Amino acid sequence: MWTDLLYRLRALFRRRAVEDELDDEMRLHLELQTEKYIRSGVAADEAMQRARLEFGGADQIKEECRDARGTRSIENMFQDLRYALKGLRRSPAFAAVVVASLALGIGANTTVFGIVNGMVLQPLPIESPEQFYSVDRNGEPSHSFLNYKDIRDRNSVFSSLFMYRIAPMSLEHTDGAKRVWGLLVTGNYFETLGIRPSIGRFFGPADDLYPNGSPYAVLSFDTWRGRFGGDPDIIGRTVRVNAREYTVLGVAPEGFHGTDVFYRSQIWLPLSMQSHVEGYSWLERRQTQNGWVAGRLRPGITAKQADENLKVIADALAREYVLNEGMRLTVTVPGLAGSTLRAPVSGFSGGVMLLAGLVLIAACVNIASLLSARLTDRNREFAVRLAIGAGPGRIIRQLLTESMVVSTIGGVVGITVSVLLLRLLSRWKAPLEMPIQVDVGPDLRVLAFGSAVVLVTGLLFGTLGALRVSRWNPNDGLKGAPLSERARRWAPGDVLLVVQVSACCLLITASFVALRGLQESLETPLGFQPAGVAVVGYDLSQAGYSEKDGRIFHERALNAIAQIPGVEDYALAKSVPLSTDQSRTLVYPGDTTDFRPLNAVRATYYRVSPGFFRTMRTKLIEGREFSAQDRFASPPVAIVNETLARRVLGGAPWVGKRYRMGPNSEVEVVGVVEDGKYSHLSESPTPVLFEPMMRRYEGEATLIARSSRPESDVASDMRRAVAALDRSLPVYAVGSLDQLLSFVMLPIRAAVIALSVFGILAIMLVVTGVHGLCAYTVARRTREIGIRVAIGARATDVLWLMFGRTAALVGFGSVAGFFLAVFASQILSRIVFGVSPLDPRVSAGVILTMILIGILGVWGPLRRSLKVDPVQALRQE
Amino acid sequence: MPSDRIELPQGTLDLLILKALALRPQHGWAVSERIQQISKDVLRVQQGSLYPSLHRLERRGWIKARWAASENNRRAKYYELTRTGRKQLEIETKAWRKLTSAVDQVLDAV
Repeated sequence: MWTDLLYRLRALFRRRAVEDELDDEMRLHLELQTEKYIRSGVAADEAMQRARLEFGGADQIKEECRDARGTRSIENMFQDLRYALKGLRRSPAFAAVVVASLALGIGANTTVFGIVNGMVLQPLPIESPEQFYSVDRNGEPSHSFLNYKDIRDRNSVFSSLFMYRIAPMSLEHTDGAKRVWGLLVTGNYFETLGIRPSIGRFFGPADDLYPNGSPYAVLSFDTWRGRFGGDPDIIGRTVRVNAREYTVLGVAPEGFHGTDVFYRSQIWLPLSMQSHVEGYSWLERRQTQNGWVAGRLRPGITAKQADENLKVIADALAREYVLNEGMRLTVTVPGLAGSTLRAPVSGFSGGVMLLAGLVLIAACVNIASLLSARLTDRNREFAVRLAIGAGPGRIIRQLLTESMVVSTIGGVVGITVSVLLLRLLSRWKAPLEMPIQVDVGPDLRVLAFGSAVVLVTGLLFGTLGALRVSRWNPNDGLKGAPLSERARRWAPGDVLLVVQVSACCLLITASFVALRGLQESLETPLGFQPAGVAVVGYDLSQAGYSEKDGRIFHERALNAIAQIPGVEDYALAKSVPLSTDQSRTLVYPGDTTDFRPLNAVRATYYRVSPGFFRTMRTKLIEGREFSAQDRFASPPVAIVNETLARRVLGGAPWVGKRYRMGPNSEVEVVGVVEDGKYSHLSESPTPVLFEPMMRRYEGEATLIARSSRPESDVASDMRRAVAALDRSLPVYAVGSLDQLLSFVMLPIRAAVIALSVFGILAIMLVVTGVHGLCAYTVARRTREIGIRVAIGARATDVLWLMFGRTAALVGFGSVAGFFLAVFASQILSRIVFGVSPLDPRVSAGVILTMILIGILGVWGPLRRSLKVDPVQALRQE
Repeated sequence: MPSDRIELPQGTLDLLILKALALRPQHGWAVSERIQQISKDVLRVQQGSLYPSLHRLERRGWIKARWAASENNRRAKYYELTRTGRKQLEIETKAWRKLTSAVDQVLDAV
């Protein structure tokens, strides 16, 4: 076996030497044989001749020896490879077009797959991730701590269930206080995940027992490396979190950032430390759903069994506590905010993936038809090879080798580009202060996917070309006639063209839909004017402020901002629209006595200072802004948006009417503002209420300032101004409202970029496809055109003859593609919300583009056909 | 060509080559000469099958080749049996004996 391999390798790589040896060996044989004859008395000449005769055809023997060496098929392959590369070098334009379209097609597919892989397919870096599930409550991930404890204790399906909460905090070390994002987790978190610390140890279930009794911290690997220099002696040291001391117990494993793919936790603290970290306590409040719940199912328990068990628990909890009425508990695959983001993310990327696949198919079809046009040019070459005994198998293998070479070159380029792109994407951080980052770095799976795509495409268009060859008759080819199949009503080329045109039309429609979607998003009324507003945030609860000191600090911060040159309007709010922090509360009509949640309207609420609406340029429909008089001692007032006013207060005028937040809390409406967008641009009208910031104290604050100076300049001025008030307070610049907006617009922008690339690619493909087919038709029928012109055909007749069919095919393909797009608008709507292909601007754009494509493709051949000189055309053959 | 010469099937040729090399290393021509001599001119090895056979045996690792000077000082490729080749020769000889005696028995039966 071993010698066999060595022998073959030598035969393969030292081919020349092996052949020379064979020559020597055979020459010696001849000489010895000749000498033998001479010895036996034959004349020298005759002896030589006899020996030769006896020996037989040297070349045949050599050939048989080569067979015996067992390297024939590999040698053939090398020969095919050399030949293929030579052929590509001979027609560089063809090679460039083919390689480029393949590179784009394969690159697009690999990139999209890489993203899907990173966000959806990649299992979490924990022990047996397939048993790990999130618990959703009515399709959302949040639960109250009390409900969590009940679920944890009553269920029989989870071997362990933990709660975690995303929390920002200030982490103070020798380099000062910095705002970091971490997770507050119950003590069973680490053991449920089954991960091991890089160094040190984790906290455990015992740390759940006493509120604020376990000041321990676990650092993420990146934080430990980045901020603590990878110091192994960090274990047992104290760090300050929100101005309190915590002992570092350990460091999480490398690559572990928590159980959500987009969120990178930098530190883990026990959930029992919650009120120290967050400045208020919600653990004992059943109405506050602040934590996410996930756990590990017992071995052998299916998701369905878990759901059944959870349903029993949810029903019981709903009976026991009015607050839980209507509660549905389900297990879902974790990783994307529980699973809340899973449907949109997989819908979006799945849809894009489908379209990317379509691009690749269209590219393959295009290459197949280019190849077969080229095959027609090469018919003489193939005819000769067939005639000297190459056998159709050998020629088909040659063609497949050529297509594999092309697809491999295209694939290497495409995969390389996509690997670079994915690396870049992995490093991309959202323009938010929250550490939102997704690891979509290419792994083996992505490379395997790319290679599989390369293989399939190579085989696909290679086979399409090879199919034609197998039907050829070499005799015709030698005579110079085109190696053509019998004339048919539908030539395979026609079918290919229709398939290609409809696939491309679908892609072009999709890109128009995306563009229109972007246009609509840009035109969507936001309910405020983001341009020119700088945003800066800080959180006093992270710096150990009392409420009294906090109120004073907020006032001083506002005054400090007022001094910044160029600031026209400014205000303070707990949070602003379109940021990640969107809290909701229940609102009841003023006259209600039924305070079950089912009777309430869920409203998003903001806490804002006087001047907020002026700064945001939000229109007041009725009433007034908050004033300095709306302080904590004054009666409760609120400003609501129009949707809330209509739903809760009934008909206008609304000012002076009241709503309730509970049996003992009545709120008077002093103003009504226009509706806006609060969490994303495609949301339906959302009820929103604004409370005066100074009435209800919040440690967390977002400062906004409008000016005509660049937002980033103003933001850094604001940051400095606030930092000057308290050096130890971490102040973070969000930047601008436009930045928040651009994050919200990210999906549609991504869609526009992806789909436009696909669309442009599709246009290129159809133009080259149509051009190829027409050029071929004209070239083949030049003689016929000559005859027709000679006997008096007019230009229109010639045009109709040459291009009528193509026009019909393109038209047919376009219509089919457009209807496919309408049919597939379900898929499109996952990528771009709310725009249909039937939108007049979209369909007009598609029709125009397709006509343009037709003209572009036909133009060259058309001019050539009109220039046909009958005399020359007839003389030619 | 005399009619008492026999065309050899491939497997048999391999066996004869192995046997011819059993005594000492030979080059290609000598192998064919030796087979011809010993068989008293009955078995004549066609060059066209000799060299492919040698190459095949070499690939299987039953014989190995090296270049050396021949009797009258010419460069020749000498083949010699390897250890596996020697074993193979024994096995094939036995198999051949068994086959021929069985065939003989059948033919001799009345």
